[in-house]
Amino acid sequence: MKSTPYNLVMSALFAGRKGDRPPVGNPTSIVCQELMDACGVSFPQAHLDPQAMAELALAGHEIVGFDTVMPEYSVHQEAAALGCQVDWGDRDRMPDSKNFPYEDFSDVQIPEDLLERPSMRVVLEALSILRRHVGGKVAIVGKVMGPWTLSYHMTGTQNFLLQIGLGEKEKVNRMLRQLAPVTVAFARAQFQAGADVVVLADHATGNLISPSHYQEYLLPIHKEITSQIEGPLILHVCGDCADRLELFAEAGFDAYHFEWQVDARMAVKRVGDRISLVGNINNPQVLYQGTPEDVYRQARYAIEAGVHIIGPECAIPLATPLENLKAIVEAAREGY
Amino acid sequence: MSESMERILAAVVEGKHSEIEQWVRDALSEGIEAHRIIDEALITAMDEVGRRFADHRIYVPEMLVSAMTMKKGLEILKPILKGQGTRSQGVILMGTVKGDLHDIGKNLVIMMLEGAGFQVVDLGVDMGVEQVIQKVEEIRPHILGLSALLTTTMPEMGKVIEALKDKGLRDGIKVMVGGAPVDRSFAEKIGADGYGKDASEAVQLARSLVGGE
Repeated sequence: MKSTPYNLVMSALFAGRKGDRPPVGNPTSIVCQELMDACGVSFPQAHLDPQAMAELALAGHEIVGFDTVMPEYSVHQEAAALGCQVDWGDRDRMPDSKNFPYEDFSDVQIPEDLLERPSMRVVLEALSILRRHVGGKVAIVGKVMGPWTLSYHMTGTQNFLLQIGLGEKEKVNRMLRQLAPVTVAFARAQFQAGADVVVLADHATGNLISPSHYQEYLLPIHKEITSQIEGPLILHVCGDCADRLELFAEAGFDAYHFEWQVDARMAVKRVGDRISLVGNINNPQVLYQGTPEDVYRQARYAIEAGVHIIGPECAIPLATPLENLKAIVEAAREGY
Repeated sequence: MSESMERILAAVVEGKHSEIEQWVRDALSEGIEAHRIIDEALITAMDEVGRRFADHRIYVPEMLVSAMTMKKGLEILKPILKGQGTRSQGVILMGTVKGDLHDIGKNLVIMMLEGAGFQVVDLGVDMGVEQVIQKVEEIRPHILGLSALLTTTMPEMGKVIEALKDKGLRDGIKVMVGGAPVDRSFAEKIGADGYGKDASEAVQLARSLVGGE
Protein backbone atom coordinates (compact mmCIF):
# COMPACT_ATOMS: atom_id res chain seq x y z
CA MET A 1 0.00 0.00 0.00
CA LYS A 2 1.26 3.46 -0.90
CA SER A 3 1.36 5.65 2.20
CA THR A 4 -0.78 8.47 0.81
CA PRO A 5 -3.06 10.36 3.19
CA TYR A 6 -6.17 8.86 1.56
CA ASN A 7 -4.91 5.27 1.69
CA LEU A 8 -3.65 5.58 5.25
CA VAL A 9 -6.96 6.91 6.55
CA MET A 10 -9.21 4.53 4.64
CA SER A 11 -7.15 1.49 5.57
CA ALA A 12 -7.05 2.52 9.23
CA LEU A 13 -10.83 2.93 9.27
CA PHE A 14 -11.10 -0.82 8.72
CA ALA A 15 -7.98 -1.69 10.74
CA GLY A 16 -6.35 -2.86 7.50
CA ARG A 17 -2.79 -2.83 6.23
CA LYS A 18 -0.49 -0.34 7.92
CA GLY A 19 1.59 2.11 5.89
CA ASP A 20 4.81 3.86 6.92
CA ARG A 21 3.05 5.79 9.66
CA PRO A 22 -0.31 6.18 11.40
CA PRO A 23 -2.72 8.64 9.76
CA VAL A 24 -3.64 11.94 11.40
CA GLY A 25 -7.30 12.80 11.12
CA ASN A 26 -9.95 15.18 12.40
CA PRO A 27 -13.53 13.95 12.65
CA THR A 28 -14.31 17.32 14.30
CA SER A 29 -13.09 20.86 13.68
CA ILE A 30 -9.38 21.74 13.86
CA VAL A 31 -10.02 25.36 13.03
CA CYS A 32 -8.24 27.81 15.31
CA GLN A 33 -7.68 31.55 14.99
CA GLU A 34 -4.11 31.08 13.76
CA LEU A 35 -5.29 28.72 11.02
CA MET A 36 -7.98 31.18 9.90
CA ASP A 37 -5.36 33.94 9.79
CA ALA A 38 -2.89 31.74 7.92
CA CYS A 39 -5.28 30.86 5.10
CA GLY A 40 -7.21 34.11 4.99
CA VAL A 41 -10.61 32.49 5.49
CA SER A 42 -12.48 33.03 8.71
CA PHE A 43 -15.72 32.35 10.58
CA PRO A 44 -18.55 33.05 9.98
CA GLN A 45 -17.92 32.97 6.18
CA ALA A 46 -16.55 29.44 6.49
CA HIS A 47 -19.93 28.26 7.84
CA LEU A 48 -21.96 30.00 5.14
CA ASP A 49 -20.07 29.99 1.85
CA PRO A 50 -19.04 26.68 0.23
CA GLN A 51 -15.83 28.02 -1.28
CA ALA A 52 -14.69 29.53 2.03
CA MET A 53 -15.74 26.35 3.84
CA ALA A 54 -13.70 24.18 1.47
CA GLU A 55 -10.65 26.47 1.61
CA LEU A 56 -10.54 26.40 5.39
CA ALA A 57 -10.85 22.60 5.34
CA LEU A 58 -7.98 22.37 2.84
CA ALA A 59 -5.82 24.46 5.18
CA GLY A 60 -6.04 21.59 7.66
CA HIS A 61 -4.20 19.43 5.16
CA GLU A 62 -1.96 21.98 3.45
CA ILE A 63 -0.92 24.07 6.46
CA VAL A 64 -1.23 21.70 9.41
CA GLY A 65 -0.47 18.46 7.56
CA PHE A 66 -3.51 16.36 8.51
CA ASP A 67 -4.46 13.43 6.26
CA THR A 68 -8.13 14.44 6.27
CA VAL A 69 -10.13 17.48 5.21
CA MET A 70 -13.34 18.13 7.15
CA PRO A 71 -15.45 21.15 6.14
CA GLU A 72 -18.17 21.23 8.79
CA TYR A 73 -17.12 23.31 11.79
CA SER A 74 -20.40 23.69 13.64
CA VAL A 75 -22.95 21.28 15.05
CA HIS A 76 -25.83 23.45 13.88
CA GLN A 77 -26.24 22.79 10.16
CA GLU A 78 -29.26 20.50 10.57
CA ALA A 79 -30.64 22.55 13.47
CA ALA A 80 -30.71 25.65 11.24
CA ALA A 81 -32.49 23.70 8.49
CA LEU A 82 -35.07 22.45 11.02
CA GLY A 83 -36.00 25.86 12.36
CA CYS A 84 -33.42 26.84 14.99
CA GLN A 85 -32.20 30.41 14.86
CA VAL A 86 -28.46 30.02 14.66
CA ASP A 87 -25.99 32.74 15.53
CA TRP A 88 -23.07 31.82 13.28
CA GLY A 89 -20.53 33.56 15.51
CA ASP A 90 -17.30 35.13 14.32
CA ARG A 91 -13.55 34.57 14.29
CA ASP A 92 -13.51 34.29 18.09
CA ARG A 93 -16.81 32.55 18.71
CA MET A 94 -18.33 29.23 17.64
CA PRO A 95 -21.95 29.22 16.39
CA ASP A 96 -24.81 28.61 18.78
CA SER A 97 -28.57 28.03 18.57
CA LYS A 98 -30.82 30.65 20.10
CA ASN A 99 -34.07 28.72 20.47
CA PHE A 100 -35.61 25.27 20.75
CA PRO A 101 -38.37 25.04 18.14
CA TYR A 102 -39.91 21.81 19.50
CA GLU A 103 -39.67 22.42 23.23
CA ASP A 104 -43.24 21.13 23.53
CA PHE A 105 -42.32 17.85 21.75
CA SER A 106 -44.84 18.58 19.01
CA ASP A 107 -44.36 16.87 15.63
CA VAL A 108 -41.20 17.95 13.87
CA GLN A 109 -41.85 19.49 10.46
CA ILE A 110 -39.09 18.21 8.24
CA PRO A 111 -38.91 20.46 5.19
CA GLU A 112 -39.30 18.69 1.87
CA ASP A 113 -36.33 20.55 0.51
CA LEU A 114 -34.22 19.69 3.58
CA LEU A 115 -31.02 19.09 1.62
CA GLU A 116 -31.49 22.32 -0.32
CA ARG A 117 -31.65 24.46 2.81
CA PRO A 118 -28.68 26.87 2.86
CA SER A 119 -27.01 25.34 5.94
CA MET A 120 -27.20 21.84 4.40
CA ARG A 121 -26.43 22.83 0.80
CA VAL A 122 -23.25 24.65 1.85
CA VAL A 123 -21.74 21.46 3.30
CA LEU A 124 -22.67 19.36 0.28
CA GLU A 125 -21.17 21.91 -2.10
CA ALA A 126 -18.00 22.24 -0.02
CA LEU A 127 -17.57 18.45 -0.09
CA SER A 128 -17.87 18.49 -3.90
CA ILE A 129 -15.29 21.26 -4.15
CA LEU A 130 -12.93 19.26 -1.94
CA ARG A 131 -13.54 16.18 -4.10
CA ARG A 132 -12.45 18.08 -7.19
CA HIS A 133 -9.32 19.35 -5.43
CA VAL A 134 -8.04 16.42 -3.40
CA GLY A 135 -10.28 13.44 -4.23
CA GLY A 136 -8.40 10.15 -3.97
CA LYS A 137 -5.44 11.92 -2.39
CA VAL A 138 -6.68 13.14 0.97
CA ALA A 139 -9.56 11.54 2.90
CA ILE A 140 -12.64 13.78 2.71
CA VAL A 141 -14.65 13.71 5.92
CA GLY A 142 -18.32 14.67 6.17
CA LYS A 143 -20.28 15.16 9.37
CA VAL A 144 -23.90 14.74 10.46
CA MET A 145 -25.68 14.99 13.79
CA GLY A 146 -27.42 11.91 15.10
CA PRO A 147 -31.01 11.98 16.42
CA TRP A 148 -29.89 12.33 20.05
CA THR A 149 -27.97 15.55 19.44
CA LEU A 150 -30.72 16.82 17.14
CA SER A 151 -33.20 16.21 19.97
CA TYR A 152 -31.06 18.46 22.22
CA HIS A 153 -31.26 21.16 19.56
CA MET A 154 -34.98 20.73 18.91
CA THR A 155 -36.21 20.48 22.52
CA GLY A 156 -33.35 21.82 24.68
CA THR A 157 -30.81 19.55 26.35
CA GLN A 158 -32.14 19.90 29.87
CA ASN A 159 -35.74 19.47 28.75
CA PHE A 160 -34.89 16.35 26.72
CA LEU A 161 -32.96 14.77 29.59
CA LEU A 162 -35.75 15.60 32.03
CA GLN A 163 -38.24 13.68 29.88
CA ILE A 164 -35.91 10.67 30.05
CA GLY A 165 -35.75 11.03 33.82
CA LEU A 166 -39.54 11.21 33.97
CA GLY A 167 -39.76 7.97 31.99
CA GLU A 168 -41.60 9.59 29.05
CA LYS A 169 -40.46 6.78 26.78
CA GLU A 170 -42.98 7.29 24.03
CA LYS A 171 -42.30 11.02 23.79
CA VAL A 172 -38.53 10.52 23.71
CA ASN A 173 -38.68 7.68 21.20
CA ARG A 174 -41.03 9.58 18.97
CA MET A 175 -38.67 12.57 18.86
CA LEU A 176 -35.68 10.33 18.08
CA ARG A 177 -37.56 8.38 15.40
CA GLN A 178 -38.71 11.57 13.68
CA LEU A 179 -35.17 12.91 13.54
CA ALA A 180 -33.29 9.76 12.49
CA PRO A 181 -34.29 10.14 8.80
CA VAL A 182 -32.62 13.59 8.79
CA THR A 183 -29.34 11.95 9.84
CA VAL A 184 -29.64 9.23 7.21
CA ALA A 185 -30.58 11.61 4.38
CA PHE A 186 -27.76 14.07 5.14
CA ALA A 187 -25.13 11.31 5.48
CA ARG A 188 -26.13 9.71 2.18
CA ALA A 189 -26.12 13.08 0.43
CA GLN A 190 -22.64 13.79 1.82
CA PHE A 191 -21.28 10.54 0.38
CA GLN A 192 -22.87 11.37 -2.97
CA ALA A 193 -21.39 14.86 -2.84
CA GLY A 194 -17.88 13.56 -2.29
CA ALA A 195 -17.27 12.42 1.30
CA ASP A 196 -15.10 9.33 1.79
CA VAL A 197 -16.27 8.85 5.35
CA VAL A 198 -18.93 10.53 7.45
CA VAL A 199 -18.76 11.35 11.16
CA LEU A 200 -21.99 10.82 13.05
CA ALA A 201 -21.97 12.94 16.20
CA ASP A 202 -24.50 11.92 18.81
CA HIS A 203 -23.79 13.23 22.29
CA ALA A 204 -25.08 10.36 24.41
CA THR A 205 -22.15 10.96 26.73
CA GLY A 206 -21.34 9.44 30.09
CA ASN A 207 -21.31 12.97 31.53
CA LEU A 208 -25.05 13.17 30.94
CA ILE A 209 -26.69 9.76 30.58
CA SER A 210 -26.14 6.17 31.68
CA PRO A 211 -25.09 3.25 29.46
CA SER A 212 -28.53 1.76 30.01
CA HIS A 213 -30.20 4.91 28.66
CA TYR A 214 -28.03 4.52 25.56
CA GLN A 215 -28.88 0.87 25.29
CA GLU A 216 -32.58 1.40 25.72
CA TYR A 217 -33.22 4.50 23.63
CA LEU A 218 -30.42 4.98 21.14
CA LEU A 219 -28.67 1.70 20.39
CA PRO A 220 -31.62 0.24 18.42
CA ILE A 221 -31.87 3.45 16.39
CA HIS A 222 -28.10 3.58 15.80
CA LYS A 223 -28.27 0.02 14.49
CA GLU A 224 -31.00 1.02 12.04
CA ILE A 225 -29.12 4.15 10.94
CA THR A 226 -25.84 2.31 10.37
CA SER A 227 -27.61 -0.35 8.34
CA GLN A 228 -29.23 2.31 6.15
CA ILE A 229 -26.01 4.17 5.32
CA GLU A 230 -23.67 2.23 3.05
CA GLY A 231 -20.44 4.23 3.45
CA PRO A 232 -17.99 4.15 6.37
CA LEU A 233 -19.10 5.92 9.55
CA ILE A 234 -17.20 7.31 12.53
CA LEU A 235 -19.23 7.72 15.70
CA HIS A 236 -18.35 10.81 17.74
CA VAL A 237 -19.46 10.98 21.37
CA CYS A 238 -17.39 13.20 23.63
CA GLY A 239 -16.94 12.95 27.37
CA ASP A 240 -16.14 9.88 29.42
CA CYS A 241 -17.69 6.92 27.62
CA ALA A 242 -15.49 4.14 29.00
CA ASP A 243 -18.60 2.44 30.37
CA ARG A 244 -20.25 2.03 26.94
CA LEU A 245 -17.48 1.21 24.46
CA GLU A 246 -18.86 -2.25 23.77
CA LEU A 247 -22.30 -0.80 23.08
CA PHE A 248 -20.81 1.59 20.51
CA ALA A 249 -18.97 -1.31 18.87
CA GLU A 250 -22.25 -3.21 18.70
CA ALA A 251 -24.07 -0.31 16.98
CA GLY A 252 -22.47 -0.94 13.59
CA PHE A 253 -20.08 2.00 13.26
CA ASP A 254 -16.69 1.46 11.61
CA ALA A 255 -14.83 3.74 14.00
CA TYR A 256 -15.28 5.61 17.27
CA HIS A 257 -13.83 9.08 17.91
CA PHE A 258 -13.05 9.32 21.61
CA GLU A 259 -11.65 11.58 24.33
CA TRP A 260 -8.44 11.48 26.36
CA GLN A 261 -10.34 10.67 29.55
CA VAL A 262 -10.94 7.22 28.05
CA ASP A 263 -7.55 5.52 28.23
CA ALA A 264 -6.33 4.56 24.74
CA ARG A 265 -4.75 1.27 25.81
CA MET A 266 -7.87 0.18 27.59
CA ALA A 267 -10.10 1.19 24.65
CA VAL A 268 -7.94 -0.65 22.09
CA LYS A 269 -7.85 -3.74 24.25
CA ARG A 270 -11.58 -3.82 24.82
CA VAL A 271 -13.01 -2.93 21.40
CA GLY A 272 -10.09 -2.33 19.01
CA ASP A 273 -10.71 -5.58 17.13
CA ARG A 274 -14.31 -4.62 16.36
CA ILE A 275 -14.25 -0.86 15.84
CA SER A 276 -11.37 1.40 14.77
CA LEU A 277 -10.41 4.09 17.24
CA VAL A 278 -9.81 7.74 16.40
CA GLY A 279 -8.42 10.33 18.79
CA ASN A 280 -7.67 11.14 21.54
CA ILE A 281 -5.36 14.10 22.31
CA ASN A 282 -6.74 16.11 25.22
CA ASN A 283 -8.12 19.53 24.22
CA PRO A 284 -8.43 21.78 27.30
CA GLN A 285 -5.23 20.91 29.15
CA VAL A 286 -2.89 19.77 26.37
CA LEU A 287 -3.77 21.14 22.93
CA TYR A 288 -5.01 24.45 24.28
CA GLN A 289 -2.90 25.08 27.38
CA GLY A 290 -0.01 22.65 26.90
CA THR A 291 3.24 22.75 24.93
CA PRO A 292 4.06 20.97 21.65
CA GLU A 293 6.06 18.49 23.77
CA ASP A 294 2.96 17.67 25.84
CA VAL A 295 0.98 17.11 22.65
CA TYR A 296 3.74 14.99 21.15
CA ARG A 297 3.85 12.76 24.24
CA GLN A 298 0.09 12.17 24.19
CA ALA A 299 0.14 11.45 20.46
CA ARG A 300 2.94 8.90 20.88
CA TYR A 301 1.03 7.30 23.73
CA ALA A 302 -2.04 6.93 21.51
CA ILE A 303 0.02 5.56 18.62
CA GLU A 304 1.77 3.05 20.83
CA ALA A 305 -1.56 2.05 22.36
CA GLY A 306 -2.78 1.12 18.87
CA VAL A 307 -5.22 3.97 18.17
CA HIS A 308 -5.89 3.71 14.43
CA ILE A 309 -6.16 7.40 13.49
CA ILE A 310 -4.52 10.08 15.63
CA GLY A 311 -6.15 13.48 16.22
CA PRO A 312 -7.71 15.87 18.75
CA GLU A 313 -10.43 14.40 20.97
CA CYS A 314 -13.12 16.89 19.88
CA ALA A 315 -13.52 20.26 18.14
CA ILE A 316 -10.52 22.28 19.31
CA PRO A 317 -10.73 25.60 21.17
CA LEU A 318 -10.33 28.52 18.78
CA ALA A 319 -7.33 29.82 20.74
CA THR A 320 -5.37 26.56 20.28
CA PRO A 321 -1.79 27.32 19.13
CA LEU A 322 -1.13 26.06 15.61
CA GLU A 323 2.23 24.62 16.65
CA ASN A 324 0.41 22.32 19.08
CA LEU A 325 -1.71 20.94 16.24
CA LYS A 326 1.40 20.42 14.15
CA ALA A 327 2.96 18.45 17.01
CA ILE A 328 0.37 15.70 16.39
CA VAL A 329 1.55 15.44 12.79
CA GLU A 330 5.21 15.37 13.94
CA ALA A 331 4.49 12.49 16.29
CA ALA A 332 2.77 10.49 13.53
CA ARG A 333 5.59 11.10 11.04
CA GLU A 334 7.88 9.09 13.29
CA GLY A 335 5.91 6.01 12.32
CA TYR A 336 4.61 3.16 14.42
CA MET B 1 -36.43 9.86 61.81
CA SER B 2 -40.20 9.55 61.59
CA GLU B 3 -41.84 7.50 58.90
CA SER B 4 -43.24 10.53 57.10
CA MET B 5 -39.84 12.23 57.04
CA GLU B 6 -38.21 9.10 55.65
CA ARG B 7 -40.88 8.95 53.02
CA ILE B 8 -40.09 12.55 51.92
CA LEU B 9 -36.38 11.82 51.84
CA ALA B 10 -36.91 8.73 49.70
CA ALA B 11 -39.31 10.58 47.41
CA VAL B 12 -36.63 13.15 46.55
CA VAL B 13 -33.89 10.57 46.11
CA GLU B 14 -36.09 8.43 43.89
CA GLY B 15 -37.73 11.35 42.09
CA LYS B 16 -41.32 10.62 43.11
CA HIS B 17 -42.48 14.02 41.95
CA SER B 18 -46.20 13.33 41.94
CA GLU B 19 -46.28 12.13 45.57
CA ILE B 20 -44.01 14.65 47.27
CA GLU B 21 -46.54 17.43 47.80
CA GLN B 22 -48.98 15.19 49.61
CA TRP B 23 -46.25 13.72 51.77
CA VAL B 24 -44.92 17.11 52.78
CA ARG B 25 -48.46 18.15 53.75
CA ASP B 26 -48.82 14.93 55.75
CA ALA B 27 -45.63 15.68 57.63
CA LEU B 28 -46.82 19.22 58.39
CA SER B 29 -50.15 17.95 59.66
CA GLU B 30 -48.28 15.59 61.96
CA GLY B 31 -46.80 18.71 63.49
CA ILE B 32 -43.29 18.49 62.05
CA GLU B 33 -41.87 21.96 61.61
CA ALA B 34 -41.19 23.23 58.10
CA HIS B 35 -37.52 23.99 58.73
CA ARG B 36 -36.99 20.44 59.99
CA ILE B 37 -38.54 19.00 56.85
CA ILE B 38 -36.10 21.08 54.83
CA ASP B 39 -33.00 20.39 56.92
CA GLU B 40 -33.55 16.76 57.73
CA ALA B 41 -35.42 15.45 54.70
CA LEU B 42 -34.94 17.67 51.64
CA ILE B 43 -31.32 18.72 52.20
CA THR B 44 -30.27 15.26 53.33
CA ALA B 45 -31.95 13.81 50.26
CA MET B 46 -30.18 16.18 47.87
CA ASP B 47 -26.85 15.35 49.51
CA GLU B 48 -27.55 11.70 48.78
CA VAL B 49 -28.55 12.57 45.19
CA GLY B 50 -25.22 14.39 44.80
CA ARG B 51 -23.31 11.39 46.11
CA ARG B 52 -25.11 9.00 43.78
CA PHE B 53 -24.39 11.30 40.84
CA ALA B 54 -20.70 11.53 41.75
CA ASP B 55 -20.54 7.73 41.98
CA HIS B 56 -22.28 7.28 38.60
CA ARG B 57 -25.16 5.47 40.21
CA ILE B 58 -27.50 8.04 38.71
CA TYR B 59 -27.09 10.44 35.76
CA VAL B 60 -28.42 13.84 34.75
CA PRO B 61 -31.98 12.69 33.88
CA GLU B 62 -32.53 11.20 37.35
CA MET B 63 -30.87 14.18 39.02
CA LEU B 64 -33.17 16.59 37.19
CA VAL B 65 -36.23 14.69 38.40
CA SER B 66 -34.93 14.63 42.00
CA ALA B 67 -34.31 18.37 41.86
CA MET B 68 -37.79 18.93 40.47
CA THR B 69 -39.24 16.81 43.28
CA MET B 70 -37.25 18.72 45.89
CA LYS B 71 -38.49 22.03 44.49
CA LYS B 72 -42.11 20.93 44.62
CA GLY B 73 -41.66 20.08 48.27
CA LEU B 74 -39.88 23.35 48.95
CA GLU B 75 -42.64 25.39 47.29
CA ILE B 76 -45.11 24.15 49.92
CA LEU B 77 -42.77 24.98 52.78
CA LYS B 78 -41.61 28.40 51.61
CA PRO B 79 -44.80 30.34 52.48
CA ILE B 80 -44.77 28.81 55.96
CA LEU B 81 -41.15 29.78 56.53
CA LYS B 82 -41.72 33.34 55.37
CA GLY B 83 -43.43 34.29 58.61
CA GLN B 84 -40.69 32.68 60.70
CA GLY B 85 -37.70 34.63 59.38
CA THR B 86 -35.86 32.17 57.18
CA ARG B 87 -32.24 31.42 57.79
CA SER B 88 -30.51 31.13 54.50
CA GLN B 89 -27.10 29.50 54.36
CA GLY B 90 -25.92 32.44 52.30
CA VAL B 91 -26.52 34.27 49.05
CA ILE B 92 -24.87 32.99 45.90
CA LEU B 93 -24.77 34.71 42.54
CA MET B 94 -24.39 32.18 39.72
CA GLY B 95 -23.76 32.67 36.04
CA THR B 96 -22.24 31.24 32.89
CA VAL B 97 -19.58 33.51 31.41
CA LYS B 98 -19.63 35.47 28.19
CA GLY B 99 -19.88 33.56 24.95
CA ASP B 100 -21.13 30.48 26.72
CA LEU B 101 -24.74 29.44 26.32
CA HIS B 102 -24.31 26.07 27.92
CA ASP B 103 -26.10 26.07 31.19
CA ILE B 104 -27.16 22.58 32.17
CA GLY B 105 -24.23 22.13 34.55
CA LYS B 106 -24.81 25.51 36.11
CA ASN B 107 -28.51 24.73 36.50
CA LEU B 108 -27.74 21.45 38.27
CA VAL B 109 -25.39 23.23 40.65
CA ILE B 110 -28.08 25.83 41.37
CA MET B 111 -30.65 23.13 42.09
CA MET B 112 -28.24 21.43 44.50
CA LEU B 113 -27.33 24.70 46.20
CA GLU B 114 -30.99 25.57 46.68
CA GLY B 115 -31.56 22.08 47.96
CA ALA B 116 -28.79 22.76 50.46
CA GLY B 117 -30.51 25.88 51.74
CA PHE B 118 -28.65 28.62 49.89
CA GLN B 119 -30.43 31.54 48.32
CA VAL B 120 -29.30 31.56 44.69
CA VAL B 121 -29.61 34.38 42.19
CA ASP B 122 -29.26 33.01 38.66
CA LEU B 123 -27.65 35.44 36.22
CA GLY B 124 -28.29 33.10 33.30
CA VAL B 125 -25.94 32.59 30.39
CA ASP B 126 -23.56 34.66 28.30
CA MET B 127 -22.76 37.13 31.08
CA GLY B 128 -20.31 39.89 30.24
CA VAL B 129 -17.78 41.05 32.83
CA GLU B 130 -19.58 44.39 33.37
CA GLN B 131 -22.94 42.70 33.88
CA VAL B 132 -21.47 40.38 36.51
CA ILE B 133 -19.76 43.25 38.34
CA GLN B 134 -22.93 45.33 38.29
CA LYS B 135 -24.90 42.48 39.84
CA VAL B 136 -22.25 41.86 42.49
CA GLU B 137 -22.45 45.53 43.50
CA GLU B 138 -26.22 45.40 43.58
CA ILE B 139 -26.76 42.08 45.38
CA ARG B 140 -23.56 41.80 47.44
CA PRO B 141 -23.61 38.00 47.51
CA HIS B 142 -21.42 35.90 49.81
CA ILE B 143 -20.29 33.81 46.86
CA LEU B 144 -20.00 34.34 43.12
CA GLY B 145 -20.18 31.10 41.13
CA LEU B 146 -18.90 31.13 37.54
CA SER B 147 -19.40 28.35 35.03
CA ALA B 148 -17.94 27.65 31.58
CA LEU B 149 -18.46 24.54 29.51
CA LEU B 150 -16.31 25.54 26.59
CA THR B 151 -12.57 25.84 26.48
CA THR B 152 -13.07 28.94 24.39
CA THR B 153 -14.82 30.77 27.21
CA MET B 154 -12.73 29.66 30.20
CA PRO B 155 -10.50 32.77 30.13
CA GLU B 156 -13.57 34.96 30.74
CA MET B 157 -13.62 33.70 34.33
CA GLY B 158 -10.20 35.20 34.96
CA LYS B 159 -11.37 38.50 33.52
CA VAL B 160 -14.26 38.65 36.00
CA ILE B 161 -11.88 38.08 38.91
CA GLU B 162 -9.54 40.79 37.63
CA ALA B 163 -12.46 43.20 37.32
CA LEU B 164 -13.55 42.43 40.90
CA LYS B 165 -10.05 43.40 42.07
CA ASP B 166 -10.07 46.62 40.03
CA LYS B 167 -13.36 47.65 41.58
CA GLY B 168 -12.19 46.81 45.09
CA LEU B 169 -14.85 44.12 45.41
CA ARG B 170 -12.62 41.06 45.55
CA ASP B 171 -12.07 40.94 49.33
CA GLY B 172 -15.76 40.98 50.15
CA ILE B 173 -16.68 37.96 48.08
CA LYS B 174 -15.70 34.35 47.50
CA VAL B 175 -15.42 33.14 43.92
CA MET B 176 -16.03 29.53 42.96
CA VAL B 177 -15.62 28.16 39.44
CA GLY B 178 -16.60 25.02 37.59
CA GLY B 179 -17.50 23.47 34.25
CA ALA B 180 -16.25 20.60 32.13
CA PRO B 181 -12.92 22.07 30.89
CA VAL B 182 -12.07 23.73 34.22
CA ASP B 183 -9.79 22.05 36.75
CA ARG B 184 -8.24 22.87 40.09
CA SER B 185 -5.00 24.21 38.66
CA PHE B 186 -6.87 26.53 36.29
CA ALA B 187 -8.97 27.77 39.22
CA GLU B 188 -5.81 28.52 41.18
CA LYS B 189 -4.18 30.19 38.20
CA ILE B 190 -6.98 32.71 37.78
CA GLY B 191 -7.19 33.31 41.53
CA ALA B 192 -10.54 31.72 42.36
CA ASP B 193 -11.27 30.68 45.95
CA GLY B 194 -12.41 27.24 45.02
CA TYR B 195 -13.29 24.69 42.37
CA GLY B 196 -15.89 21.95 42.38
CA LYS B 197 -15.72 19.10 39.92
CA ASP B 198 -19.43 18.32 40.16
CA ALA B 199 -22.63 19.65 41.72
CA SER B 200 -22.03 17.75 44.92
CA GLU B 201 -18.54 19.18 45.36
CA ALA B 202 -19.90 22.63 44.57
CA VAL B 203 -22.28 22.37 47.52
CA GLN B 204 -19.52 21.26 49.90
CA LEU B 205 -17.33 24.05 48.59
CA ALA B 206 -20.07 26.66 49.08
CA ARG B 207 -20.61 25.45 52.64
CA SER B 208 -16.93 25.76 53.44
CA LEU B 209 -16.65 29.17 51.76
CA VAL B 210 -19.37 30.63 53.96
CA GLY B 211 -17.63 29.17 56.97
CA GLY B 212 -19.92 26.23 57.58
CA GLU B 213 -18.92 22.59 57.86
